[in-house]
Amino acid sequence: MSGDIVEDTRGIDRTASIVLALGLLFILGPLVFTLITASQSYDSFVRSGISPVPGTHLIENIRRLFTTTAIPAQVVNSFIVALMVAAFKCALAFVTAFGLVFFRVHYAGIVFAVLMGTVLLPLDLRVVTTYQVVSNVAMPVNGLLNATGINAMIAAFFGAPVDLQLNLLDSYPGIVLPALATGTGVFMMRQFFRTLPGDLVKAAQMDGAGWFRFMIDIALPLARTNLTALFILMFLGGWTMYLWPLLASSTPAMQTAVVGLARLSPQGDGQVPDYPLIMAGAVVVSILPLLMIAFLQRFIVRGLTLTEK
Amino acid sequence: MQATIGAEIRLDALTKSYGDNLVLPGLDATLGAGEFTVILGPSGCGKSTLLNLLAGLERVTSGRILMNGREVQGLAPRDRGVAMVFQNYALYPHMTVAENIGYALKIAGVPRAERDRRIAEAARTVALGDYLTRRPGELSGGQRQRVAIARAIVREPSVMLFDEPLSNLDAQLRHGTRMELAALHRRIGASSIFVTHDQVEAMTLADRILILNKGRIEQFDTPEAIYRRPASTFVAGFIGAPPMNLLDAIAESGRVRLASGTVLAGTGANGPVTLGIRPETIHLNDVGEPVVVDYVEDLGGHHVLAAHLEDGQSLRIVTPPDRRPEPGERLHVSFAGASVHLFDAITGRRLADPAPIRSEGVPA
Ligand SMILES: Nc1ncnc2c1ncn2[C@@H]1O[C@H](COP(=O)(O)OP(=O)(O)OP(=O)(O)O)[C@@H](O)[C@H]1O
Ligand SMILES: [Mg+2]
Repeated sequence: MSGDIVEDTRGIDRTASIVLALGLLFILGPLVFTLITASQSYDSFVRSGISPVPGTHLIENIRRLFTTTAIPAQVVNSFIVALMVAAFKCALAFVTAFGLVFFRVHYAGIVFAVLMGTVLLPLDLRVVTTYQVVSNVAMPVNGLLNATGINAMIAAFFGAPVDLQLNLLDSYPGIVLPALATGTGVFMMRQFFRTLPGDLVKAAQMDGAGWFRFMIDIALPLARTNLTALFILMFLGGWTMYLWPLLASSTPAMQTAVVGLARLSPQGDGQVPDYPLIMAGAVVVSILPLLMIAFLQRFIVRGLTLTEK
Repeated sequence: MQATIGAEIRLDALTKSYGDNLVLPGLDATLGAGEFTVILGPSGCGKSTLLNLLAGLERVTSGRILMNGREVQGLAPRDRGVAMVFQNYALYPHMTVAENIGYALKIAGVPRAERDRRIAEAARTVALGDYLTRRPGELSGGQRQRVAIARAIVREPSVMLFDEPLSNLDAQLRHGTRMELAALHRRIGASSIFVTHDQVEAMTLADRILILNKGRIEQFDTPEAIYRRPASTFVAGFIGAPPMNLLDAIAESGRVRLASGTVLAGTGANGPVTLGIRPETIHLNDVGEPVVVDYVEDLGGHHVLAAHLEDGQSLRIVTPPDRRPEPGERLHVSFAGASVHLFDAITGRRLADPAPIRSEGVPA
C-alpha cells in the first residue's frame, strides 16, 4: 500500500516528493519531539533541554504518570464523557435527520437552518451563558416566574418567592449536555438520508411498514456506516474538548484527561515543568482514544449487523 | 402461485393537484376485474401520479377510488390489497432476497413456517429459487426486477401496480420479461395496471390501453381498436412505429384534398381537417403525389423514409427493402388503398370514417 504510493510519486516528479517530505516533516515533527521528550528522564531534560535522540525513560515516565498523577481517573472521566457525547449526539442526529427528511415537516428548511446556526455558534463562544445555566438549570424557570409577576404573587402569598436550584457543575450531565447542542451530526445524517431513493420509502409503505418500522428495519441498518463514522468523530470531539470541561469541573476528580494534562505543568513557582512526564501524558491521552476506536469500530459494526438479521 | 381474485377498479371523478398544479383534472374509468390495463402517455402526463393514488402513496384531492365496490381512497396502502413494482426496483439493499420478499409478511405477522413457504413459492414463480440468500447488490438488473416482482406477488394482492418496471432492462431482457409478465398475470389473476411510455409494451401486454394526455383520458380501449381507430390525433401520433402521418387537408364536395389538389379520400365532412395515413399503407409509384426524400432509415426488413410534400408537410413512408432511395431524391407516392383516418383540424377528435380511394385521384 505505502509502497505503491512511494513508487508512484518517485515516478511522477521530484517536486512532488519534496513537497510531500516537507509536509510529513511538518506533521510528524512535533509528534517525534513529543515522543523523544516523553522518553527522557526529568534530570537529563533539566540539564540539556529538548534532545534530538530518544532516551530510555518512556516506561518509567508512564509509570510515574499512573502512580503520581490524577490522569488515570481522569482518563476514565474522559472515556465516560466522550462515550456519552458520541452516543447521544448520534441518537439525536439520527432521529432529527430522520424526521426532517422523511416527514413532511412544515418549514423543514427553516428548522434545518436554525440547527445549522448552532454550528456557527459553538459551545466555546457560549461558555459564559452556558455556565450560568448549568450552575442552575432551573434558572430559566425562575426567570420566567419573575418576569411574569407570578413570583411576586407567590411572595405576597407565601412570604417568599420561588427560587429553584439545580446545579449540574462537577457532574457528567453538566459536562455532556451542553456539548450535545450542535447540528453537525444532524447535517451529516440528513445528507445521508437524502441519498436514499424515495421509492424505498414507498416500497416500505406498500409492505405495510409504518414510519417506526421503516426507521428501525431500514433506515438504521442502512445508516450503519455513517453512524459509525459519526460516532468516531464525536467520540474524538468529546475526548479532546478542553474549554468547557475545564470550566464545568472544578475538582481534579471530575476533570477530563485533557484538562488534567494541562494542569500537570506547575503554575507560577519558577520550577522547570516536568515536560517528560507531561509528554508521556500527551502520548497516553492521545493513544487511548485511538485504541478504543479501533475496538469500538469492530464492536459497533458487529452489533448493528446482528440486529439486521 | 395460487390464483387470487382480481378486483374491479372504478375511478370516479378522481382529481389530484399539487398546489396550483392540477395534474389529474378528473378521471372516470372502470378497469375490469383481472384485466391487464396499460397506462400509456408522454412524460409528465400523470401516469405515476395515478398509480400512486391507486396505491395509497398519495392522497386524492377529490373523487373516489372503488375496488370491488369498496371505497379505498382513505385507506392505508396495506389495507387496499395492492402491491407495486417500482422502476428502480426499490429493494432493501441490506436484506437478502428472501428477506426482501418476506418483509411484508413479517410485518403482517405471518408465522415463520408459512412465511418461508410463501417466500419459496414466490421465488420459484419468478425463477429465483437459488438466489434466496443473496443481497440485491449481488444480482443483475433482471434478477433484481424479479425480486421486486416476487415481493409484490407474495402478498397475493388483488391489484398489481407496475411503474415502468422494464425501462431499466436491456432490449433483449425486456422482451423476455415482458412475456413472463404476461404469463404471470394470467396465472395469478390479479388486476394489473402497468405504466409505460413504450408503445410496444403497451400493445403486447394490454387487454386495454388507457392513453393519458395531460392528465386526461384520450382513449381507453383494446390495443387493436387503438391502432385501428385512434380517437384523436394525439393517439394517432403516439401509436405505431413510425407513427401515423397527420396531414393538413381540406374537405369539400365529398372529397379530402391536399393543397396541391390531390384527392386523398372521400368524406361527408366539410372544412379544414387533419388526415391520418399509416406510413406502411403508402406506396411508391411513378405518377402520384411528388415528394422529396430527406433521409432514409434502413431497418433491415424495410426502409423508413422521411420525406416532404411540395407544400412542405412532412411525411413518413415505409418501403420494401429491394430499393433504397437516396436523400434528395424525388419520388412519387400513391395513397390508393391506404388506411386513412379523419380528424377535426381544431379539436383533433376523430370524425366519421372517410372512404379510401381505390386508384389515383378517384374516391371509392
Ligand atoms: N410530489 C410532487 N409534488 C409536486 N408535483 C408533482 C409531484 N409528483 C409529480 N408532480 C407533477 O405531476 C406531474 C405528473 O407527474 P408524474 O410523475 O405522474 O408523470 P409521469 O406521467 O409518471 O411521467 P414519467 O413518464 O416521466 O414518469 C408532473 O408535472 C410533475 O411535475
Ligand atoms: Mg412516472
